[in-house]
Amino acid sequence: MLVAWKYRPRNSLIESLDPRARWITSFLILASVTQFWDIRFLLFFLAIPVAQFFLSRLTWKETRRAWLFVFLFVVVITGVNALIIGRGGASAIKDLEPHVLWEKTWRVPLVGWPITIDITVEKISFGLSQIVRMFSLASLFFVIPWTMDPRKYGVTFRGMGIPYRIAFSMDLAFRLVPTLARDFRVTVDSQQARGYELDRLEGGIITQIRRLAPILVPVVMNAIIGGEDIANAMDLRSFGITERTWIHKLHYRRRDYTLMAFGLILLIASTVITKVYGLGDLWIPQWFIALAP
Amino acid sequence: MMEKKSLWVFGTRQVVYAAIGAALYGVFSWATNFIALPSIGQISLRPASAIPMFFGIAFGPIVGFLSGFVGNVLGDFLSGWGFWWSWDVGNGLMGLIPGLMAASVVDFRDAKTILKAELFVIMGAVIGMGFSSLMEIPLYGLDFNTAVVGYWVPAGLDGTIMGLILVPILMVAYDAVLKRRGR
Repeated sequence: MLVAWKYRPRNSLIESLDPRARWITSFLILASVTQFWDIRFLLFFLAIPVAQFFLSRLTWKETRRAWLFVFLFVVVITGVNALIIGRGGASAIKDLEPHVLWEKTWRVPLVGWPITIDITVEKISFGLSQIVRMFSLASLFFVIPWTMDPRKYGVTFRGMGIPYRIAFSMDLAFRLVPTLARDFRVTVDSQQARGYELDRLEGGIITQIRRLAPILVPVVMNAIIGGEDIANAMDLRSFGITERTWIHKLHYRRRDYTLMAFGLILLIASTVITKVYGLGDLWIPQWFIALAP
Repeated sequence: MMEKKSLWVFGTRQVVYAAIGAALYGVFSWATNFIALPSIGQISLRPASAIPMFFGIAFGPIVGFLSGFVGNVLGDFLSGWGFWWSWDVGNGLMGLIPGLMAASVVDFRDAKTILKAELFVIMGAVIGMGFSSLMEIPLYGLDFNTAVVGYWVPAGLDGTIMGLILVPILMVAYDAVLKRRGR
């Protein structure tokens, strides 16, 4: 069981962009998307991460597990929730006059309480908008693990204004993951050799959790003990006296400024459209309403 | 016996411990794909939740926050689940809030300290997971009931139960490590 980052060089356009520009633009687009519930606008925003995916030269095979998770989360949980419950904050769907397409009432045995489930034009419209919006938000940052070099996270976050020590700590965390994953595997193997059963946890909930201690405690404590050596080595090299530099240097190019300008224009336009012109709320086409009996 | 610590110090040791906490959280989150999990009925609990809480109590609120925040990012990256910033912040809060008691910890085995830690663990889990769950409302349009019942309750329960049981175990183990090192 080896841990490996999913990143590998692909010589794609997305990788050629400055990672700072990518993060900043992604957050600007995130702020733009969250202002809309109108599916016509949301489909435009969905096109951006889709284009980003194809420009990253990623394959379906590499990313299918992640897409499956996003699909399950967005469509099944959110979509079904919207269909059955049909309420949401920004859409205020409950304020709309419902146009029922299908309705069924059951009665709870013995007490006779009615439970009504209905599918309305408004619920379907809200559910579809919610699915597109969630897909847009989820897939905006989707490509980052595959397309951003883990060695550059520290210098990237420092370049975005995060304090130097915190950026260095993040860098170190990325570096330590494979090491601690190996230690985890060694600990598991050692405990299994001593009769520890990894495949099943028996007993009540407290007993089950306590049975994780033979794995958790050695890994955590050994990591902390090893951390002392790392801290001593850093102190010996005068860490913290002055700000250190990173071996990787980041430089903005014209394409990076273009990308960030695009994100900023999008945010300003979104704000004007929603706040000044009052557009962007849930849209239900008239032809759809006409389908209701 | 340990000397009292300054709460918001972020020196070399804190930089390293934050990195270790984050890496451990990421690794244990990823590892839950391969190991059996304790469960209540059909709900699985994640042991990784205890790590940012313990690191906050042991090393301070900044270490706790970074352990949770960066750790959740790492766990999601390793598992291929993308980037969910509201849950990253929530996990960070889950580590930061227990860290607020770090300056008062003198003896990790002391019963009163452990009891105080349990209270902070509950607060951390409730507030941290509450933040993430309630952010689902403006971000994704969930209604309040769904956010509470579907997200806050199970996530908060997970963090609370794991923290209440595992954090004292880690504190006692860490006390043994400190005594061996003469600190």
